[in-house]
Amino acid sequence: MKKTMKVVFVLTVAALLFAGCAPAATATQAPAATTAAPAATAAAAATAAPEAVCKTDPFGCAVFGPGDTVKIGMGAPMTGGDASYGIDISQGATIAIADASDVKGWKFALDAEDDLGTAEGGAAVANKFVSDQSIVAVAGHIFSGATAAAVPIYVKAGIPMLSPSATNPALTNPGSTVFNRIAFTDTEQGTAAADYLFTKLNVKNLALIHDGSDYGKGLADIVAAQFTKDGGTVAVEQAITPGETDYTAVLSAVSSKKPDALFFGGYTAEGAIICNQMKQTGLDKAIFFGDDGTYGADFLTRTGANGEGAYASIAPASPDTAAKDAFNTAYQTQFGKAPGTLSPYTWAGYDAAAALASVVKTVAFVGSDGKLYVPRSAMVDGVRHLTNYVGLSGTFTCQSNGECNTAAPQFVVVKAGAWVPAAQQ
Amino acid sequence: MVGEKHHSPTTFLVRKAVIATMTADIPLGLKKKGLQLLQLVRPLLGGIVGLFLVYRLYVVLIVEHPYGPDTWTRLLIAGIILGGVYSLIAIGYTLVYGILFMINFAHGDVMMIGAFSGYFIFEAFNALKVGLDGKSNFLNSQPIISIIIAFIVGMTVAALTGYFLEKIAYRPLRKAPRLVPLISAIGASIFLENAVELLFSPQLRNYTNPDILRRGAGWTLVINHSNVIIPYTGVFSFVLSAVLLVILYTIVRKTRLGRAMRAVALDKKTAALMGVDVDQTISQTFILSGALAGAAGVMYGIHNGLVYYYTGFIPGIKAFTAAVLGGIGNIPGAMLGGMFLGVIESMGPAALGIDFQLKDVLAFVILILVLIFKPSGLLGESLAEEKV
Repeated sequence: MKKTMKVVFVLTVAALLFAGCAPAATATQAPAATTAAPAATAAAAATAAPEAVCKTDPFGCAVFGPGDTVKIGMGAPMTGGDASYGIDISQGATIAIADASDVKGWKFALDAEDDLGTAEGGAAVANKFVSDQSIVAVAGHIFSGATAAAVPIYVKAGIPMLSPSATNPALTNPGSTVFNRIAFTDTEQGTAAADYLFTKLNVKNLALIHDGSDYGKGLADIVAAQFTKDGGTVAVEQAITPGETDYTAVLSAVSSKKPDALFFGGYTAEGAIICNQMKQTGLDKAIFFGDDGTYGADFLTRTGANGEGAYASIAPASPDTAAKDAFNTAYQTQFGKAPGTLSPYTWAGYDAAAALASVVKTVAFVGSDGKLYVPRSAMVDGVRHLTNYVGLSGTFTCQSNGECNTAAPQFVVVKAGAWVPAAQQ
Repeated sequence: MVGEKHHSPTTFLVRKAVIATMTADIPLGLKKKGLQLLQLVRPLLGGIVGLFLVYRLYVVLIVEHPYGPDTWTRLLIAGIILGGVYSLIAIGYTLVYGILFMINFAHGDVMMIGAFSGYFIFEAFNALKVGLDGKSNFLNSQPIISIIIAFIVGMTVAALTGYFLEKIAYRPLRKAPRLVPLISAIGASIFLENAVELLFSPQLRNYTNPDILRRGAGWTLVINHSNVIIPYTGVFSFVLSAVLLVILYTIVRKTRLGRAMRAVALDKKTAALMGVDVDQTISQTFILSGALAGAAGVMYGIHNGLVYYYTGFIPGIKAFTAAVLGGIGNIPGAMLGGMFLGVIESMGPAALGIDFQLKDVLAFVILILVLIFKPSGLLGESLAEEKV
C-alpha cells in the first residue's frame, strides 16, 4: 500500500511538473498536416503552405494563435542615472506600435525591458527575449555595451535587431546576420567631433576622459586618433569608473596638463558630474565636449549653471513632414514632454519600431489552420534588406553589414540653459 | 588555546592553517626546512613591495614630476575630505565589531538612509516659501537652521534604523555561530537597499544645497599661477566630522554609557555581573553608530550631490576597509584608517603613476598588505575577549 501511494505521488508530481513546463503558446515546430487538408486544397494553395516555409526555415516560425499578440522587444536602460534614454526611446516606440496597430488581425505590442545599459543587463534581457517565442524582432538595444553582449544570443535564435541608437563601430565591423542600426556610427561621430574641435573651436590641446564602456572608450579613441591626425595634441586620455559621484582626483590630474577642451566619451550620469566638478579642479576655462550620450534634459537639470557652453552631438535634423508633426503632437499629448528633450533618439525610436512592424507585415502570413506564421529567417532578411524606408528621422537603406544610416551628427551647445544648434562647419 | 588573550581572528586562523599544514605527514627534516622557508616569506614579500613602491615613487616624483604643487594640493584636499567621511562611517563599524564581534554589513545602507532623510528635508525646505513677497524659500533665508534640522533628522532616522536593525536582525542570533549574524547582516543590507529602491524609485536624487553651501564654490588659493579651490562643502564636512569624532570620543571615555560600552567590549559576562544592562548597552551602541552614519550620509549628499538606493554600498566597504586598516575595535584606529585610506585613494594613483581607474584596486591592495604585515591593523586591535 505504502509503495503504491509513493508511486502515485511521484506520478502526480511529475504530471504537475510537465503540465507547468509545457509552453503556453504553441511550439515553433511546423504543425502537423491538418486533417482538413484534402478538403481545403483550394484554400491551402491560396495561402502559402506553412509546412514548407517553416520546415525549410533554419530558425522556424513564430506561430500565433487567435488572440495572441505579436511582440517587438526593446532592451533599454529604464532605471538608473541614464534612464531618460530608455524611457524616451521606448515611449517613441510605443507610439509607433500603436500606429502600426495590427498585422492581419493580430495586434502588435512593445515589450520594453530594463537592461540597465550594461553588458550583463543586455545579455539577461536577450536571454529573456529568445525564450519568449512571441518576440519576432528587437528594436534595440539602446546602449552599445548592452547591444554587443546581446547580439550573439540573437544570432543563435534568429531574431533580427534594428537599433535606433547603438553607435559603436565594432557592432557592424565585423557585423552579424541579425544586427542593423539606423543611428550613425561613432566613427562618423568621433571624426566629426575631432574636426569640429580642431577647426571650429580652435582647440589645440585636447584632454579625453571616457567611462571604459564599449561606447565611451571606442568614441574617445576615435576622437583622439582623428585629433592627432588633424594636427592637434592629445594632452591626456584617462578613464573613470562609472557609478561614482566624485571625480575630482582625475580632473585634477587632467587639469595639470592645461587642456583647451575636455572631450567626454560616456553617458549623462557621469558627464553631468564631470561638468559640475570641472570648475573646482582648475578646468574652468576648458570646454566640455560631450557626445550623443550626454545630450538631454537630465544633463541640463543636473549641471544647471555649470553646463553653460557644453557641447554634445545629436542626430542630424530631419525634414519636418506631416507625419513628423503628427508624431510630435501625439508624443506631447501622451507623455507631456516634447520629443527630443529627454534624449536625441525619440524619432529614431519611433522609426525602429515602425520599420520592424512593417517588415513583420510583409513576411507574416496566415496559414491554412488560421494561425499567423512569422518565418524568422525571412524577418532577418527583411530587416537587412530595408530599402528606402522613409522614417521620421531620415530615409534608410540597409547595407550588407547592417548599417542603414550614413548621415553625420550635428552639434548642439548649451546656451541660457537650453540646447541650441551650435555653429556648423 | 589556554592563556592566549586578545589575538585577532585573522592571526588565529592563519596560524592554525600554517600549523595544520606543518603537522601533516611530512618528514621531520623537510618540515623544519619548510618552517624556516615560511618565516622568510613575510620579510621577503615586504622587501619586494617596499622596493617597488620606492622605485615607482622615485620615477614619478623625481624623474617625471608630471604634476605641479597646485595639483598635489587639490588631490590632498580631496583626499582629506574623503577621509573625513570614511572615518565617520568606519567608527560605526569599529564600535559594533568591538562589542559584538560581528561586521555590520548593513552599515553603509544606514548611511544611505540618513542621506535620503537629509534630501527630503532639504527638498521640503526648498519648496517652503517664506517672506512677504513669497519669492524666497526657507532653505535660503534660514540656511543654518535648515542644515541643523537636516542633520538632526538624518541622524535620528539613521539611529532608529540602526536600533531596529539590531533588534530584528541581530539580537535573536546572539547565541548562533559567528557566521550566522554576518549572513543576516548581508540580508538586512539587501533588504534596506531594495526597500528604498521600491519606496523612492531608483532614479538619482540631486541634493539641493542652500546657497551659502553651494557645491563647487569655495575659497581660492593661488598656487603656481593656478586657482586651487577649497570647497565650502568640503571644509564643512571635515570640520563636522572632526567635531562628531571628538564628541564620540568624549562619550566613550567620559560618560557612563561609554564606560558601559567599554566594559561590555572587554568582557560581557563580567560586565553583566557588575550590573551593566548588556542588551541596552548594545542597543545604545547601535543607535550611536547609526547616528554617526546618518551624519556621514547627509554630509555625503551635501558634498557629492547625488544619492540613490545603492549609494551606501561602496563607501560602506571602503569604510570597513579603513576600520580594519586602523585596527578593528579601536576608535582612534578607525579615524586614522579613514584619513589614511582617503588620502591614499586620492593621491595614490597620481603618486605611483598608474591609471586613476585603479584607485579602488590600490585601496584594497593596501588592505591586503596591512593584513599580511600587521594583521591587527595600524594601531592594533581592541576586541572583546569572548565571542558572541
